[in-house]
Amino acid sequence: MTKVSLTVNGSVLSAEVEPRTNLADLLRETHNLTGTHIGCEHGVCGACTLLVDGVPIRSCITFAVACENAKVTTIEGLDEDEIARELRAAFTTHHALQCGYCTPGMIVSARDIVLRMEAPSEHGIRVALSGNLCRCTGYVGIVRAVQSVVSGRR
Amino acid sequence: MSDQGVGASVKRKEDDRFLRGRGQFVGDIRLAGMKDVAFVRSPLAHAKLRAVHIPDEHRGKAFAAEDLVGVKPIVAVSGLPGFKASEQPVLASQKVRQVGELIAMCVGRTRAEAEDIAASIEVDLEELPAVHDMLAARLPNAPLLHEHWGDNTFLETFVDINIEAAFDAPIKITREISTARQCMAPMEGRGTVVYWDSRMDQLVLYTGSQMPHIVRTGLAECLGLMQTQVRIVSPDVGGGFGYKGILLPEDVCLGWLAMRCGHPVRWLEDRREHLTAGANCREHHYRITVYADRDGTLRGVDCEATVDSGAYSSYPFSACLEAAQVASILPGPYDFPSYRCRTWSVATNKCPILPYRGVARTGVCYALELMLDLIAREAGLEPFEVRMKNLVRPEQMPFDNITKKHFDSGDYPEALRRALATADLKSVRERQRRGEPDGRLIGIGLAVYCEQGAHGTSVYAGWGIPMVPGHEQATARMTPDGGLELRVGVHSHGQSMETTLAQVANEILGIEIAKIKLVHGDTEYTPYSTGSWGSRGAVMAGGAVATATREVARFAKAIGAHLLQTDAESVVLRDGAVHGQSGSVTLAEIAHTWYRRPQDLPTSVDPRGLEATIGYKPGRDSGTFSYAAHIATVAVDPETGDIEILDYIIVEDGGKLINPMVVDGQIYGGFAQGVGTALYEEMNFDSSGQPLASTFADYLLPGPTEVPAPRVRHMETLAPYTEFGVKGLGEGGAIAPPAAIGNAVNDALRSLGAEVFHSPTTPRRVLEAIAAAKRAKTPVEFEEMQG
Repeated sequence: MTKVSLTVNGSVLSAEVEPRTNLADLLRETHNLTGTHIGCEHGVCGACTLLVDGVPIRSCITFAVACENAKVTTIEGLDEDEIARELRAAFTTHHALQCGYCTPGMIVSARDIVLRMEAPSEHGIRVALSGNLCRCTGYVGIVRAVQSVVSGRR
Repeated sequence: MSDQGVGASVKRKEDDRFLRGRGQFVGDIRLAGMKDVAFVRSPLAHAKLRAVHIPDEHRGKAFAAEDLVGVKPIVAVSGLPGFKASEQPVLASQKVRQVGELIAMCVGRTRAEAEDIAASIEVDLEELPAVHDMLAARLPNAPLLHEHWGDNTFLETFVDINIEAAFDAPIKITREISTARQCMAPMEGRGTVVYWDSRMDQLVLYTGSQMPHIVRTGLAECLGLMQTQVRIVSPDVGGGFGYKGILLPEDVCLGWLAMRCGHPVRWLEDRREHLTAGANCREHHYRITVYADRDGTLRGVDCEATVDSGAYSSYPFSACLEAAQVASILPGPYDFPSYRCRTWSVATNKCPILPYRGVARTGVCYALELMLDLIAREAGLEPFEVRMKNLVRPEQMPFDNITKKHFDSGDYPEALRRALATADLKSVRERQRRGEPDGRLIGIGLAVYCEQGAHGTSVYAGWGIPMVPGHEQATARMTPDGGLELRVGVHSHGQSMETTLAQVANEILGIEIAKIKLVHGDTEYTPYSTGSWGSRGAVMAGGAVATATREVARFAKAIGAHLLQTDAESVVLRDGAVHGQSGSVTLAEIAHTWYRRPQDLPTSVDPRGLEATIGYKPGRDSGTFSYAAHIATVAVDPETGDIEILDYIIVEDGGKLINPMVVDGQIYGGFAQGVGTALYEEMNFDSSGQPLASTFADYLLPGPTEVPAPRVRHMETLAPYTEFGVKGLGEGGAIAPPAAIGNAVNDALRSLGAEVFHSPTTPRRVLEAIAAAKRAKTPVEFEEMQG
């Protein structure tokens, strides 16, 4: 067991973890932050995407012990975030979710696109979202929602 | 129509919790003292199981078949004559018949610890030759999965409707066509959390299921419990598509374990388990001959179809539903006089199959539509001309086709005309003729299908499987504050039922949807139902909610009339209030009176109150027929085999749309899965029955850059037999893309004389087809082909 201390959604979290424990399991299993979903456990589907020091990462292939002193933000930590709020409204307007399982990862990645990309084309948004898989929506509503938030902020 | 009623694109009530990560999926449930389960699974596809060695230090934490005393195997029979049933042991004994089959169950404080225990268990297997090819499986010398059968065939069916009359047709074309095995891959895998509730004397099992009541029945039978002793809770479900319409051996194992060990236990399927051990779908093979006249008139279809059903018959759909459905729906939306079809449901050493969105329709649409394009080429016609010649016409409706399918309504040629107008066929042909600067080849392809949905008792009684849908029931119950609870036995796994069923209730009662709560996914609180499958939710649960809320409306009007001091015949219910000549009283006031001021009610008041549970069936239960025309335009790179979808058009008729936004979402999502089937998804096995994909890096799901936004247009021909004229359409988007895209690719490759008849149409298959055409040295002059 290794001790690890990090900040999660603004609160300090200290835990004894096995070296093999990944960040998603630490958050979900012992801290009840179940908004971070596990879809593949090999870093392809993007459902577990969250922010570490402001950057989207795959929490299913990130070891908890590698997050010493990291500042982690999960979907639960984006309740009051201004961009996430706009994205939530846009996702609802454009029917960008059905079962809701990929949604937290999508919101985290979409928020990053809104922050990072100046005037992305539709194709640019699709490329930037290509690390997140959705099996329900065909991506139509998701892309439209991101486009609407991007253009609304311009 | 109110602004929240049937036909309104209301925003979804369920969105907020998902957008904040507050949905509650099986994996999110935390019970005190809960332990995790990992399974020892067979590494071999076919083997004798000689022994399972559990190390002494893990006794009490690991269990094999001999421990599960009294647990019955899963048996899913079919009543179709000649069907051979399999017994699927929940933990293997004597033999394993697929890679991933459960051999032992291990319990740990964490999944990692449980997997450590699993890794310590030795399994002694004697490998047997595996059956990995469904056609070879039918040969007389094939190894046998279930020895006492004498062969590997679950079921063979045969229908011949005057095929000989077609034999003199001037056009006769034969091809072998096949579709790959697929994994359904909802983003959330399967999972089970279970505990024994000693107060209720009841096993409580949480599982992401499309059909909680069916799971309860099957689980109770396997565990020898009364059904009152089993409660199934299906919480938020992260996509289903058919994959969550099954009783799992894992469910049975964990049910036994929870009763034995007295604490909650959990198993969460990981993606490797899903891809290598969970149920598969879609693997079809067709040897098909079409007969036609020179003007494109279809004279007959003659087909031998084989479906790879895997090792066991899945509960409740059975191993034969898919192939038997092939025989009944291969004719598609076309009217022709001669038909013969023989089908085999074959057992192989692979995962069992389940019906995936579209079920057999995706395969038969692919097979028939590819053949119709060949007729067009042979006859020198445009592909659409062949469809127009043979599609069921609106004046024939309602129409009973050659296999006695009852088409309820619609104008199929009009759907195709609208799709063609949207596609602008002329300019695509012009662009194709001109050629692309980058050397890519342009192709356009179309497909038309019909989707029988919400088929009921009369259809399923014939299959004789463990589940036959009858009346669909719903409960509607007003609350003292004027709200409404709806209880249904279907379950949403993304279909937006919390919104759409509230819209139905709003249409009848006028209660705003914010005050309507849908209770579903719990056998304890909902009426029995076969669940969510077969595009039946909107038709069946929608109809049931309409029926139950109408009854509540009747009760409310009677009370309202009393409060208005008039009779029930002279009041109307509108906008959430009962109106009479002397004034109005709101439903909230009526509810308040019934529940909290009964002293204001007359002694003659109807004692049923403001609550009703009623069953619903459409006027005819043979199913609704939605349909669509799809047109794909593609660019194919003959150097790399790469395929790009340039344009995709869908003209769909789903009858009355309860929520058009939600319907579009279903079509977009189905289309994306259709693109996966058409171009990417393939679960291959090697000759020893080993699955060759175990991650999303080798089982390819289409992502945002692979799925363009299709252009969707609607027609709304009301269904004659259902509430509001609704038709089931949840699967349709996934049916036609492999056919439309396949035809488009073959159209693009036409100048090279190449054609692909196996989906997915991968770059490798395109290049192989081009190479084969070159070898055959039969280049076809493009201009000549254009006639």
